Amino acid sequence: MKSAIRMIVVEAAIVAVIGLGVALAANQISPRGLALSRNYFPGGTNSIPAAPKPVQAAAVSPETNETSDAAQLSERLRDKGLQEVKRSQAEILFHDPGVRDGRIVFVDARDEDHYQEGHIPGAYELDPYHPEKKLGAVLTVCQAAEKVVVYCTGGDCEDSDTAALLLRDGGVPGQKLFVYGGGFTEWEAGHLPVETGARNSGILNKSK
Amino acid sequence: MRKNKSFETAAILARWALGALFVYMGLKKAMHPAEFLKLVRQYEMVHSPFLLNSIAAVLPWFEVFCGTLLLLGIAVRGTALTLTSVLVPFTWLVWRRALALEGLRAIPFCAVKFDCGCGAGEVFICRKLAENFILILVSCWLLSGSGRGFCARHALLSGKSVKE
Repeated sequence: MKSAIRMIVVEAAIVAVIGLGVALAANQISPRGLALSRNYFPGGTNSIPAAPKPVQAAAVSPETNETSDAAQLSERLRDKGLQEVKRSQAEILFHDPGVRDGRIVFVDARDEDHYQEGHIPGAYELDPYHPEKKLGAVLTVCQAAEKVVVYCTGGDCEDSDTAALLLRDGGVPGQKLFVYGGGFTEWEAGHLPVETGARNSGILNKSK
Repeated sequence: MRKNKSFETAAILARWALGALFVYMGLKKAMHPAEFLKLVRQYEMVHSPFLLNSIAAVLPWFEVFCGTLLLLGIAVRGTALTLTSVLVPFTWLVWRRALALEGLRAIPFCAVKFDCGCGAGEVFICRKLAENFILILVSCWLLSGSGRGFCARHALLSGKSVKE
């Protein structure tokens, strides 16, 4: 009995060791694999993402929730030294002629699949988890711009913050950088133009 | 005798189901490691980026590896013990996170819904805990030596190959 248990434990240890080796190799080979030594959350170390603050049941209403979420978002960005733009400001910037001549740049911080499904027309793609793909080109464009608006899905999504910090670390001055906290979800919900496929594909869809 | 055979058949099916589930869930996470990384982060287990990245990078493929072993019937008891050792602390982490969310959102425990990083998206916590409990039970069942049929090499160390 004792030796049987020992055999199972040894077998489990062998499975664990080989499994870890295989898993590390698979991560290394996978084009989507993570770089183990990189800090993917430069702004907030590895702390828990902001969770909703406690609210009394009687006080819960959509309005208070929205206000609370917006306040948390502003606080989060302030903590990271980033500036926020609301939807109305993002919309004004989008319609500004500066978008066409590169003075105003939109950066989409979601992954490639989401970007292809739909993005703010003319936005550059910069997945902060795989910045090696596009960072060089996006940095050049952002350094030449006067205003850079970074967005992701919105809500709890912090990928826009991470992408903005990457750009700041890459030499884009902080005063040029803005995070559109409402993100793509809010943009779509506002029936604003959405481009699908590659940047400047010209394929414009009506938002939901 | 007949009862034993049915029991063994059920154990083999449970082994395949558990294996397939781990392969599927593992691959789902492995295809989107950045999303999984963000979900692992919410548990605040580690504060070192290296450790956090290692967990998020290794766990999905480790699940695929263990699931494959169960499907093929290789080192079944060792794999079942490994999975139990992963499932028990993970279930505790999920439960702890749900308790924190229950307090923060001021809602009943079973109404807590979040993406625990299990590969199935947002789920209600009570359902998730019940699922994990079943997975742990199945692992323990296999650990007891059941589900030996159609195994390429049930026990790695004894060198015995059991085939039906």
